[in-house]
Amino acid sequence: MHYTLSTATKTSLASAPEVQDQILGSLEMLFGTPQNPSYLRTKDWADAEFDPNHAELAADAGGTGELAESEMNGVKADNLVRFRSQLEQVARRDYAGLAEFKSAPHLSDRVAAIVADKELAEDKRQADLKALFENYYPSLRDSTELYRQQCLHCHGVEGGGDGPTAGSVEHPFLDPRPRDYRLGKFKFTAVKDKARPRRQDLYRVLDQGVYGTAMPSFRRFSAAERWGLVDYVRMLAIRGEVEHDLVITFQDDEHLTAEAPLAAFQDVWTKWQAAKEKVVVFEGDVPAPTPAMLKRGDELFHDAKKGNCASCHGDMGLGDGPAAYKLDDQGHRVPAYTDDWGNPILPRNLVQGLYRGGRRPIDVYRRIYAGINGGPMPGIGESKDADGKLVLPPEDMWALVHYVRSLSERDEAVAGGPIHGMTPPGEGGGGGN
Amino acid sequence: MRILLTLLFLALLVLGVWTFTDAHNHAWWLPPNVSSYGGDIDRLFYLILWMVGFFFVLTEGLLVWCVFNFGRKRTTKADFTHGHHKLELVWTAVPGLLLLVITFTQMQTWAKVKFKSNFPDVKPICEVWASQFDWRMRYPGDDGKFGTVDDIENPFEFVVPVNEPILFNLRSRDVIHSFFVPYLRLKQDAMPGMVIPVWFQVEKEGSYDLVCAELCGWGHYKMAGRLKVVSRAAYDAWLKKSKEEMNSNGSEDKS
Repeated sequence: MHYTLSTATKTSLASAPEVQDQILGSLEMLFGTPQNPSYLRTKDWADAEFDPNHAELAADAGGTGELAESEMNGVKADNLVRFRSQLEQVARRDYAGLAEFKSAPHLSDRVAAIVADKELAEDKRQADLKALFENYYPSLRDSTELYRQQCLHCHGVEGGGDGPTAGSVEHPFLDPRPRDYRLGKFKFTAVKDKARPRRQDLYRVLDQGVYGTAMPSFRRFSAAERWGLVDYVRMLAIRGEVEHDLVITFQDDEHLTAEAPLAAFQDVWTKWQAAKEKVVVFEGDVPAPTPAMLKRGDELFHDAKKGNCASCHGDMGLGDGPAAYKLDDQGHRVPAYTDDWGNPILPRNLVQGLYRGGRRPIDVYRRIYAGINGGPMPGIGESKDADGKLVLPPEDMWALVHYVRSLSERDEAVAGGPIHGMTPPGEGGGGGN
Repeated sequence: MRILLTLLFLALLVLGVWTFTDAHNHAWWLPPNVSSYGGDIDRLFYLILWMVGFFFVLTEGLLVWCVFNFGRKRTTKADFTHGHHKLELVWTAVPGLLLLVITFTQMQTWAKVKFKSNFPDVKPICEVWASQFDWRMRYPGDDGKFGTVDDIENPFEFVVPVNEPILFNLRSRDVIHSFFVPYLRLKQDAMPGMVIPVWFQVEKEGSYDLVCAELCGWGHYKMAGRLKVVSRAAYDAWLKKSKEEMNSNGSEDKS
């Protein structure tokens, strides 16, 4: 298994194979190989004793300090469950078979090293092993292995969304297709201005899944493993962005300097760090829906100067609005938009009640406020009219959110009702089988 | 050759019996039962296992004996026989009778687990939605109704209180799935378009595997969930916390 360049890169640089090799070499220098992935520590970082490979360590302890205390506590709590039998073994100093983790080769190595170290006093050995399991946080190498087992079959080796179970470009197996990380764009985040996702946004996707797609929840893995996957996915995304930037640089300048890869890397890294400042938060309590609000939301949904939602999502919210479709050469109705990955895209059918980015009111609020990065859904939370006033002041935003969410209740009345004489219990059901 | 074949079939007999008697020592056996009706189902399982075990030993023993006894090089001409009426009657009537015994002994258990008229008189705690390829539990919000905007949706984890009868509605979004919790001895298919009520009662707190037991597509093997059984107080606290998270204004995401 090894990292390759994307099809887009190979196509754009078809006439310059030596530049392809240069880019591939630079990427390997910056991000390592799948067998040993790690970020290059730039001179500045080494001087500042900062290591991007350690998200779990605090900034003053040589890491990036990206795990909040509550998140670290969650990691430790899950570790106690995950390593329960190992910790019991350590407690009775039985170290047989302790270093066999099929999805964590680096952890296996670390455990084996402590067990085999003859210099260690027995008490110290026991304490070291206990601490290792209790505070375990996966290295990029461990996460690569888990990624290889759980994610690669859809998302591909480089995160191009081109794994075997994704199908081919001509015959995709999945709709929507798995995310291609390499543009650095992720749809379901809590940030605005098309910023990069925060690590917490990616974690939430792993935790909740993306309902209505083939992306399931990965809660069966411990918090440490999921945070590790987030770190690795981020690395693949940054790697893809650097690759893309280098191609653009070459096309603009007709050559690549030796400094270009590092400059691109630092540039992309900074962009990912900037996302923290872009979180969409509503100051105050989420208002409860009232009939007046829903009525107001209905108006905004259909008003072309306000929400203008109906133009794409349709009068009934079925995702069949006129702007979402166009006629092709043969006069067939086809999707009018493609997303940033080049796939045709249709507006969400809001009546189904399947919210890919989460079904909490704040999730829908964020979709309307900031739009969906990579897709045609615009964000209107900060749009202003000719007089400089917000098109949708907060009370109107919530009216729209609650109206959109209420659309799915209709579906229950139509599609979720009793079928074939089956009556759900507690609603006048009962009787024989 | 005769001795070799005899030994081969004898080895099969011994291996077959040993597999079942030694299974406990290798975690090949059933996981511990934690549900209120799992004991009944286990008793039925053992009843049938003893029956087929007895006949396995009997028929396999007969086979070994036949190979040993009649496997010699033929010296006499074979007899023609039309059959043995009484023997045939016996080997038809006895299994028939045994099937009847199984039918009548299992009826009570089946009725207890699957008949709607025997369901506990409680409101469904949640809807369990199966879809390619995950489990999602939808708990009603304060209005107590499913399919309204205040529902709480919990992927992967099916949280229930211990020692209480639990009723839930099983539903599918796309294809046929099957809700299977081996620790409960409970399996029920989920059909798209149908609302299927299912009940159980767990007597021990803990986390138990929930898997899909109906091949539902390429990701079938990944379709796992977890039944999390907690005390009533912990359940109430979890539900309260989930409701609060539902009304979050996003401030927890601020760094």
